[in-house]
Amino acid sequence: MPYHEFECSKCIPERKKHAVIKGPGEDLTHALPLGYLNTIPGSISERGCAYCGAKHVIGTPMKDVIHLSHGPTGCTYDTWQTKRYISDNDNFQLKYTFASDVKEKHIVFGAEKVLKQNIIEAFKAFPDMKRMTIYQTCATALIGDDVDAIAEEVMEEMPEVDIFVCNSPGFAGPSQSGGHHKINIAWIKKKVGTVEPKITSDYVINYVGEYNIQGDQEVMLDYFNRMGIQVLSTFTGNGSYDELRAMHRAHLNVLECARSAEYICNELKVKYGIPRLDIDGFGFEPLSTSLRKIGLFFGIEERAQAIIDEETARWKPELDWYKERLKGKRVCLWPGGSKLWHWANVLHEEMGVDIVSVYTKFGHQGDMEKGIARCEVGALAFDDPNELEGLEAIDMLKPDIIFTGKRPGEVAKKVRVPYLNAHAYHNGPYKGYEGWVRFARDIYNAIYSPIHQLSHLDISKDEIPTGAGFQTATMISDVNLSEEVLSSSTLRQYTGKYDSVSDLRKKTYPEFKKKERSE
Amino acid sequence: MSCEIKQKGRVGTINPIFTCQPAGAQYVSIGVKDCIGIVHGGQGCVMFVRLLISQHLKESFEIASSSLHEDGAVFGALNRVEEAVDVLLMRYPHVKIIPIITTCSTEVIGDDVDGVVIKLNEGLLKEKYAGREVHLIPIHTPSFVGSMVSGYDVAVRDFVRYFAKKDKTSEKINLITGWVNPGDVTALKHLLSEMQIEANVLFEIESFDSPLMPDGNSVSFGNTTIDDLTATGSALGTIALNRYEGGKAAEFLQKEFDIPAVIGPTPIGIRNTDTFLRNLKKMTGKPIPESLVRERGIALDALTDLTHLFFADKKVAIYGNPDLVIGLAEFCLDLEMKPVLLLLGDDNLSYPNDSRIQALKEKVDFDMEIITNADFWELENRIKNEGLELDLILGHSKGRFVAIDNNIPMVRVGFPTYDRAGLYRHPVVGYAGAIWLAEEMANTLFTDMEHKHNKEWILNVW
Repeated sequence: MPYHEFECSKCIPERKKHAVIKGPGEDLTHALPLGYLNTIPGSISERGCAYCGAKHVIGTPMKDVIHLSHGPTGCTYDTWQTKRYISDNDNFQLKYTFASDVKEKHIVFGAEKVLKQNIIEAFKAFPDMKRMTIYQTCATALIGDDVDAIAEEVMEEMPEVDIFVCNSPGFAGPSQSGGHHKINIAWIKKKVGTVEPKITSDYVINYVGEYNIQGDQEVMLDYFNRMGIQVLSTFTGNGSYDELRAMHRAHLNVLECARSAEYICNELKVKYGIPRLDIDGFGFEPLSTSLRKIGLFFGIEERAQAIIDEETARWKPELDWYKERLKGKRVCLWPGGSKLWHWANVLHEEMGVDIVSVYTKFGHQGDMEKGIARCEVGALAFDDPNELEGLEAIDMLKPDIIFTGKRPGEVAKKVRVPYLNAHAYHNGPYKGYEGWVRFARDIYNAIYSPIHQLSHLDISKDEIPTGAGFQTATMISDVNLSEEVLSSSTLRQYTGKYDSVSDLRKKTYPEFKKKERSE
Repeated sequence: MSCEIKQKGRVGTINPIFTCQPAGAQYVSIGVKDCIGIVHGGQGCVMFVRLLISQHLKESFEIASSSLHEDGAVFGALNRVEEAVDVLLMRYPHVKIIPIITTCSTEVIGDDVDGVVIKLNEGLLKEKYAGREVHLIPIHTPSFVGSMVSGYDVAVRDFVRYFAKKDKTSEKINLITGWVNPGDVTALKHLLSEMQIEANVLFEIESFDSPLMPDGNSVSFGNTTIDDLTATGSALGTIALNRYEGGKAAEFLQKEFDIPAVIGPTPIGIRNTDTFLRNLKKMTGKPIPESLVRERGIALDALTDLTHLFFADKKVAIYGNPDLVIGLAEFCLDLEMKPVLLLLGDDNLSYPNDSRIQALKEKVDFDMEIITNADFWELENRIKNEGLELDLILGHSKGRFVAIDNNIPMVRVGFPTYDRAGLYRHPVVGYAGAIWLAEEMANTLFTDMEHKHNKEWILNVW
């Protein structure tokens, strides 16, 4: 597997070992891109910082918490309202953010006093909120404020509140991944085991590494509820602070995003002996396998199978409608960390697209290993992408669509390649059976938008077509389809609602009787 | 019946109105041609600001980071600046200007950015890039001082201070727009063109409303050139439209090169646009042409349809960049509206002494509050817990939930406005801006009347 040298990066030779092309018959032992190393300054990398990895990615999805950043307001402002992790308590965590507003005098004389005032003010402004997380930032880490000590002091004075401190300043690591690690470890060290939960089922899990992007967690929770499984906590999307303090009582940790949250699972295994089961809510087959595995663990396979059968019957014909129309489309799968391997193979299998490139902004070599193994032969895999390399790759690979973040999406737009938001989704959720169809629909709508035909026309040079009239997406996508597909009586386009999540919140579930234990 | 000016009572910030200084400097940097800034700090200081600006403009553009990691925070990170400059110059052959923008972390560790610029000028640039025009400009924007507004002000001054040279006096004026949108620059240049005035415009960001071209084009960039910046030192005069976003540069040019400076007013609304034209006329001797009388007339015609019938007595809260907020408040007064609450989101101590704020304090004949160092809680708490009743909110998208959750109609204006389509295209300045603002406010109120079934039938015969 040869390393790939980008033309634009020939002048920075250390980049060479960050990219490979997956050759025919080659495996990962030939070469694996380097990963999670310090960023090359000035390369216009797409990485964020360890503060955002801790606060923005993992901390803030917790819903019943005052999230306070100790530093100047910028860190807080910049990471506020840029994600789509919703919650069933009217999105408190999306709407409210708190900054201790550190100014120059605090930098000189210390900001501990002002932090304490902040904490008290925040609890006073939101008297119903009794839980708080505090995130250190670059400035307050460097001046050496003892945030933990202040938190302890307040908790002594206000016994009804509980405060979690995460010391993960922006510079702590090559990317946001450093922050994921720090907050995982801090949470298990400081908070797990401090609340005893009420156990209501024989089957108790923590759902870990799930951030409820556009409602993903609520979709999965629906399946778990239907299986009679008690979800003790979700780390952290739509998750509750006190529930997360009780993680130690689960029988099983069900892990979704291993990049950002395997640390806490591993620690829970070591400290409390709770096994870790990696699952995948994306894609019919991976999701079905995941539900089956959980069912198998608890001896309730038939409950899992019932869900799989029902959901597959309901949604598979819709997924397949899109698959017929997406076959062979070229995809650059350019997410942040874990989605390159969550999505690479299943997109090919279930939607028929070819993954021509994977990249990871903050993943480690292990993520690359899995991603490369799962993408198509000939695919270009690269670590810590930068602006010029992305453009060069687009030019070289001519993808039909790119899954990436909002701002790189703007770059793609200008070279007339549609993009889907891989972090926050377009019209998600994408987890669950219905969600996977929603993803397929978003891909289809992006690729077959009639706007692309217009944008490739140069009215100063080309013959301007007249008389052809409008074309709908289906008119474009169905040109080369077989009669069999076109006349299929089973395949159909997505039939769900714009909002597929809110109704889940109103659902009730059958009671599964808890077995009497004679201990 | 009085206007009260006070600071926010709490020390902390609940939902900030502004981000920090480096963001302002970054917004300046993208307005300059052949320029890519390096932000010396953690990567988030760039990644999120690029995201923020690209959310607002729906465009991409380039800003680099020195990518401060743990070792740099402990041992100093000037080597990261040196490497960043080199990497940037190697890979972006068109780049001539690199502002080096500091952040809280690199100011706290005391990295000598000015020193490293001297070192690079003497070393790397002479040795490796001999014959290439490269300008390294240190810009100090620690995040714990001021806000994005002062960061913008400081950066404009530093660009001007670096490039401005006195040559023989030209007929051109300097127009420093302040933190505006592409649509504002178009509107301002239109006014100049009607008056046949040439100007060095800081900054030419019209190109951020950039097309999708058949041959594909990837990155948007500003068009203010090194020549424009250099020529600011020989201009006939400077008009800085916003006191707090460009005022420092105007003052610098006046002090250093005796270039007369007119600072403000922000030409929002008819009255302030009239004053802007008067200032242009006075500075250049050029008359205000008939075409602008006509344009003004069209605006007045549109406004007269709306003022006493719909706008009169409507209570408005306004937040955002100070010059924008003040300009909008003055415009609202002309439209018979009552701007009852103004929120200025940083602790700049000179706001209370601003003559425009003084005028509000002295003359306003209804109850009005002006809060400095404000956050969104100052607004929301008044609505939720203190009985403040509002008919309209004017401000940027970060405050959207205050409007949504309290059922108050809101017009998005300022930066950022990512939750509405295309607002960067529309001006708020000049007569065109007056029309757009008034009609946007009216249509927003109308939609709200319909949504709430609140005398929506009145529009049947309007």
